[in-house]
Amino acid sequence: MAGEEVVLKIRRFDPSLDERPRVEAFAVPLKEGMTVLDALIYVKSRLDHGLAVRFSCRMASCGSCGMKIDGRARLACETQISSLPRGAVAVEPMDNFPIVRDLVVDLERFFARHAAAMPGLVRERDPEEQESPTGEYLMAPGELESFVQFTYCIKCGLCSSSCPTASTDALFPGPQALSQAYRFLADPRDEGEERRLERVDAEHGVWRCHFAGTCSAVCPKGVDPALGIQLLKRHVMSARSPFGRKKRRGAPVFPNPNGDLLGQP
Amino acid sequence: MAGWFDPRRTNIERWAYTFQRVTGLAVLAYVVAHIGDTSFFVGGPFGEGPSRASWAAGLSVTESLLGHLVLVMVVLVVVYHGINGVRLILSEYGVIFDKPSRPDYPYRAKSLRAVQRHLIWVAIVGAILAALYSGGLLLG
Ligand code: SF4
Ligand code: FES
Repeated sequence: MAGEEVVLKIRRFDPSLDERPRVEAFAVPLKEGMTVLDALIYVKSRLDHGLAVRFSCRMASCGSCGMKIDGRARLACETQISSLPRGAVAVEPMDNFPIVRDLVVDLERFFARHAAAMPGLVRERDPEEQESPTGEYLMAPGELESFVQFTYCIKCGLCSSSCPTASTDALFPGPQALSQAYRFLADPRDEGEERRLERVDAEHGVWRCHFAGTCSAVCPKGVDPALGIQLLKRHVMSARSPFGRKKRRGAPVFPNPNGDLLGQP
Repeated sequence: MAGWFDPRRTNIERWAYTFQRVTGLAVLAYVVAHIGDTSFFVGGPFGEGPSRASWAAGLSVTESLLGHLVLVMVVLVVVYHGINGVRLILSEYGVIFDKPSRPDYPYRAKSLRAVQRHLIWVAIVGAILAALYSGGLLLG
């Protein structure tokens, strides 16, 4: 390892200055356990301060460092250089997003789509319970299990950047938003089913997915958005069919015997 | 569009997806050509009406080595598209996946394994066997 180098071939592009992207190569001294993000930080601090790269947690939690590494969407902080094939490492911004500069893409629309999926409990019966809770909603462990994996999403955008439908249909909400829609439809506490179905059972909605599955192949958190989307299709069909299984009304509130939720009397 | 044809370093479902789209277009082209072909000779724009001779003339369009190869390709494409289509319908009913559950590292997506993935191979092998069988009949 000592004395070895890795070459990063980074795609550079500043839309306000450049007509088209160009690739620049940087040689970085290899260290044991070095991630692609470590190497990029080395480039930024020692070789070219102008390199635009976004990161924060460096531990696959914040979802900031999504990019295309050797042709595949990955988190730079989670990708060890030793896990990649030998030779130069191609580093590019994620597909399907507008480029802000170099490796930084604009996630605004992506977050807006997440917001449009209504990522919060909708309650018809006791809306005030959300603001001033008096207890907990009752839910069986099995019910939690049925959607908990979809709550692991860190909104990194890797799934939507790899989706072939998202690359051809600009109005498609993408795997992230659709799997979040399912996460709340499957949640026994939620009562927003009709509004949620209207949003996903639409022209550019869930039926545009033809199950290429790449979203799930690249997801770094085991969310498996493709599974969420297929189950979402089943949910839509069930809800729309006279013979389908219907969702029961939202889970009831279980008063907290210890006073408020922090256990204060 | 480029996104369709860039399945580098990802999953077999992505290839299945690309083939499903391409074979879908091929089946559509074949159906249009087939209907055009048969209607031309049966009834026909020259008003000669259906007859054994016009039917035979229609058949003769594919009575060549190239024609037979095209027909074998049609069998390959139709059988793949059909079986893979059933796989996609089953996936929309959620019946070919393991149930969702709390994921553990290293994550392996439940939608990309088990019965679902085996069915892709059923579609591929089924299409090849059907093409071999039809090739045997037509070319043998
Ligand atoms: S579903 Fe996975 S890949 Fe998509 S944004 Fe969430 S964590 Fe990232
Ligand atoms: S830096 Fe937070 S996920 Fe990579």
